[in-house]
Amino acid sequence: MPELLDSADPGRRDRHLGQMQNPSEMPKAEGEVPHAELPLSRERKDQPLLLCQRVSKWYGPVLGVNQVTLELRSGITGLVGANGAGKSTLMRLITGHLRPDLGQVSIFGIDAWSAQAKRLVGYCPDVDAFYEEMSGWQFVEAMARLCGYSRTESRRRTEAVLHRVGMANRSDRRIRGYSKGMRQRIKLAQALLHDPALLVLDEPLSGIDPVGRAELVALFLELAEQGKCLLVSSHELEELEKLTDHVAIMARGRIAAVDTVARIRDRLADHPLTVRIDLRKNGGPLANGQSYRHHRDLAAQLLAEVPEVCGVEIVDSPHPLVGRLLVRARQAERFFVELNRLVLDECYEVIHLETLDSSTQAVLGYLLRK
Amino acid sequence: MSESVEPIQHGSLLHYRPWQGQLEDDSRWGVFLFVGVQTVLFTVMATISDLHWLRLACILLFVALWGLVVRSRAWPITRVALLMVFRRKLFWVIYTLAVLVFLLFFFGQYLMSWALTQFGETEVRVGGMGRANPKFLVDLFRDQLKMNGSAEMFRNFFWYEGYTVMVILALAGSILVGNDIRFGSLAFYLSKPISRWDYLIGKGLAVAVFVNLITTIPAVLLFVQFGMLEDWNYFLEQSRLLVGILGYGLILTVTLSLVLLATAVWVRKTVPLIMTWTTLFLFCRLLSEALVNNLQFDPRWRLLDLWNSTMYLGHLCLGIQETQIRPWPQPAWEETALVLGGVCCLCLSYLILRIRGVEIVT
Amino acid sequence: MLANSTSEVLIELERVSRWYGTFQALDEVSLRIAPGRVGLLGPNGAGKSTLLKILLGLLPPSAGSGRVLGLELGRAGTNLRRAIGYMPEAESLIPGLSGADYVGLAGELYGMPRRQAMRRAHEVLTYLELQEARYRKLEEYSTGMKQRIKLAAALVHDPPVLLLDEPTSGLDPAGRDAMLELLRVLGREHGKSLILCTHLLGDVERVCETVLILHRGRVLRQGSVAELCASRQDRFRLQVAGDSSAFGEELRQEGAILIQNNGKGRLRVAVPEGWNPRTFFVLASNHGVTITGLERDDETLEELFHRVLREADTPVPRVLETRHV
Repeated sequence: MPELLDSADPGRRDRHLGQMQNPSEMPKAEGEVPHAELPLSRERKDQPLLLCQRVSKWYGPVLGVNQVTLELRSGITGLVGANGAGKSTLMRLITGHLRPDLGQVSIFGIDAWSAQAKRLVGYCPDVDAFYEEMSGWQFVEAMARLCGYSRTESRRRTEAVLHRVGMANRSDRRIRGYSKGMRQRIKLAQALLHDPALLVLDEPLSGIDPVGRAELVALFLELAEQGKCLLVSSHELEELEKLTDHVAIMARGRIAAVDTVARIRDRLADHPLTVRIDLRKNGGPLANGQSYRHHRDLAAQLLAEVPEVCGVEIVDSPHPLVGRLLVRARQAERFFVELNRLVLDECYEVIHLETLDSSTQAVLGYLLRK
Repeated sequence: MSESVEPIQHGSLLHYRPWQGQLEDDSRWGVFLFVGVQTVLFTVMATISDLHWLRLACILLFVALWGLVVRSRAWPITRVALLMVFRRKLFWVIYTLAVLVFLLFFFGQYLMSWALTQFGETEVRVGGMGRANPKFLVDLFRDQLKMNGSAEMFRNFFWYEGYTVMVILALAGSILVGNDIRFGSLAFYLSKPISRWDYLIGKGLAVAVFVNLITTIPAVLLFVQFGMLEDWNYFLEQSRLLVGILGYGLILTVTLSLVLLATAVWVRKTVPLIMTWTTLFLFCRLLSEALVNNLQFDPRWRLLDLWNSTMYLGHLCLGIQETQIRPWPQPAWEETALVLGGVCCLCLSYLILRIRGVEIVT
Repeated sequence: MLANSTSEVLIELERVSRWYGTFQALDEVSLRIAPGRVGLLGPNGAGKSTLLKILLGLLPPSAGSGRVLGLELGRAGTNLRRAIGYMPEAESLIPGLSGADYVGLAGELYGMPRRQAMRRAHEVLTYLELQEARYRKLEEYSTGMKQRIKLAAALVHDPPVLLLDEPTSGLDPAGRDAMLELLRVLGREHGKSLILCTHLLGDVERVCETVLILHRGRVLRQGSVAELCASRQDRFRLQVAGDSSAFGEELRQEGAILIQNNGKGRLRVAVPEGWNPRTFFVLASNHGVTITGLERDDETLEELFHRVLREADTPVPRVLETRHV
């Protein structure tokens, strides 16, 4: 959708910058797109897109988020955590729907509470709150008008975003009759209207059928490729893994970790990795005359020679010709280097190698159980 | 339900235990039988003229059979609906008003019969106008106030209680039905092995409980009280009146529950429901009164006023003479009954239509 | 009363169709489902909810016949619902009631005597670990508790079959795990048959023995996951640490086809016949890359699902598709 993503067009971006140098000449004309007034100076470009500095928020006596510090610059970041961990609160703080009680949220250095910052952020809320009598098209267009676009511009943008989220041919029906997937798409469409740099998506994949989910995942990846920054919360960790490996894990109002899943996993020193290794028991001879060695030998060798290994368990395998080991090891990187070396030097035929507890699911489980 | 002795295992409390009981089959015939028997009883007690004892027996049987409702498949729905309304403080405030009206009549009757016993035969001076027999005075007073156990007394009682019934139903409607649609509880009920009829009957019974709690039951109490104070023969001689009270209650119950359920399904929320209810009963009433009383239109215009229609039929049930019925003139009672029946059928078909449209599997 | 639950067939449909006006939601569906844990999959508009309604006796089939636990469809409306414990997707709670009252009411509506229903409600609530919350009002419940109380209401009369519509929707990962574990135990250890309707393929993989894929009112596939998913001897998924581009290049030179390289060390390769997995380690060490994961790239349930839908939508000759099988 090139006509929508006009700020991806370098000429357009330059115009913004040019205007910034003469702020007094900022256009106020009726037909002008409001977000063209956006002050995106070069210094501001150097600032992180999103910066939360020790943000806390209470609802009366109830703590929403507690001393959250988060910095995002680009790409997709997953926001995961239990219900009530403060994900939605954090998202609303970022989108400027809520004002932090302590700390500061800024978008390119602008306070997120300000109208200026809101023009940079698109928000797709988790709750369904539509005017059910409107058609999808009317709803998105009304949102476009609320963004301050002129009638013709609103129409153009509405058409573009609806096409983009794959709702172009279904948007004239009333929202009342929409499925969950269509509702999510309409919410996404209105978040994309003003072509924001940061998209905050609260549970955008929940309740959608697998076909629609695959389409949305592809769309998110495409948006990220075009240089948008996405913050996506989801309970469906398998889906999130398809989107990104960079996650922020929230628990009890705090951010427990922000990093790639693999690195967070590494830092969980209390929980050694569990690696499943399947070896062929008695394969044929190797080219150099040696024959494959038994999986018990590998178990012994791992225990004796690799200091990172803290336990090896020989378990039954479903196939009589396959030996299966469950290895518990710390420091994944060094362990795997050693394992590779052993496999090559000592003639083990590994046919399956899998870390069982490095998924986001497992990491989240370990982190929250602590 | 005999459970075999099993050895205690670790964590056995958290173990899933199968249930060995039997599930009751529902039989539609129970409802049909109930309705049939009650109709026969009611017809018999309304048509018998001289056999007072038989009539009284029929009445007692008719009332007692209502106890069977508790055994019906729809009763759990009714019970939960009642529980919801009984939890509201506002309900109790309004119900207190209804009870006050009842107490007024209740103690009014006591006062009158007490006054009668006190004065005896001595004459008293009445404000310098002359002397009068106090019994005569009290009787006069009593007849004027209609505290005399006559049809008019019950007419007045129903009349006053009618207002509280309206207010309570307006409040209860959204709790009874509107919330079920708004919060998706309907999917809960209808995904269970009950039919949509059971649901409607259950909710209708709940409305019936409110209506009868305010009107019929206190009225019957007043009837019993008067008979005890006056003369035991009253029960036999005036048993026709008791049938009238029950009939009046029945008319109110059927009409109001159907109209209420239909409006509550339609508007769902409390405030709009009260507004619709007020329009339906207050505005239509004012309009028809203005048309017939002031502008001298045809009395058929009164058919606009559902409340008037129920009252009118109720008065006829109580056996009040046409000259005593107010407001007057009224259309022919057949016409009124036809309109009321039509409205009930309309409400019922709307209800069925709406409940059939509920998506249980989304 | 309930039909004999030990019968061989749980659900049997013979050419069941359902029209809404001119729209055909189910198209001559014929099915035999044995007792067990079944996942019912399908995109929106596949006819899943119509099938559920027919199974629950809420809708009669327009044509065809069928039986659930020996009960004839279309005739035994309420009896069907008594034999099945249905957990709806919608938040079908009654605000103002306590958890125990709610489950007890469900029991009564299923036809249990009131006292038995209350006793059984407490028992089921204890089993589902809601004993602390049972006197609290339903509107104060968290999402996880709401899902569990809905399950309790479906389980209260101890039905042989549970029909679960999106039981994990809205649950956080921990809650979802707990729910799936509960369902698995109910199925495996307590002999309940489950029909799990969901959009989350992971749920089906973790709970169900067999899957049923529905699309445009037809059954596209039915069988166990292992049976249905193509087993691909010649494809591997690799996870490597280090720079994977040179490694990938070398793989290509050795005759392997690089199907996917996500740039973050995750590769999928198709290898020529007679390939020894050991070659991966050899090639990796040539480029200073460490292999941290090596798995056969068998078709996942998700891939199967998408493939089956694609095949149904664009009828291609099946010969092309058997390449990987």
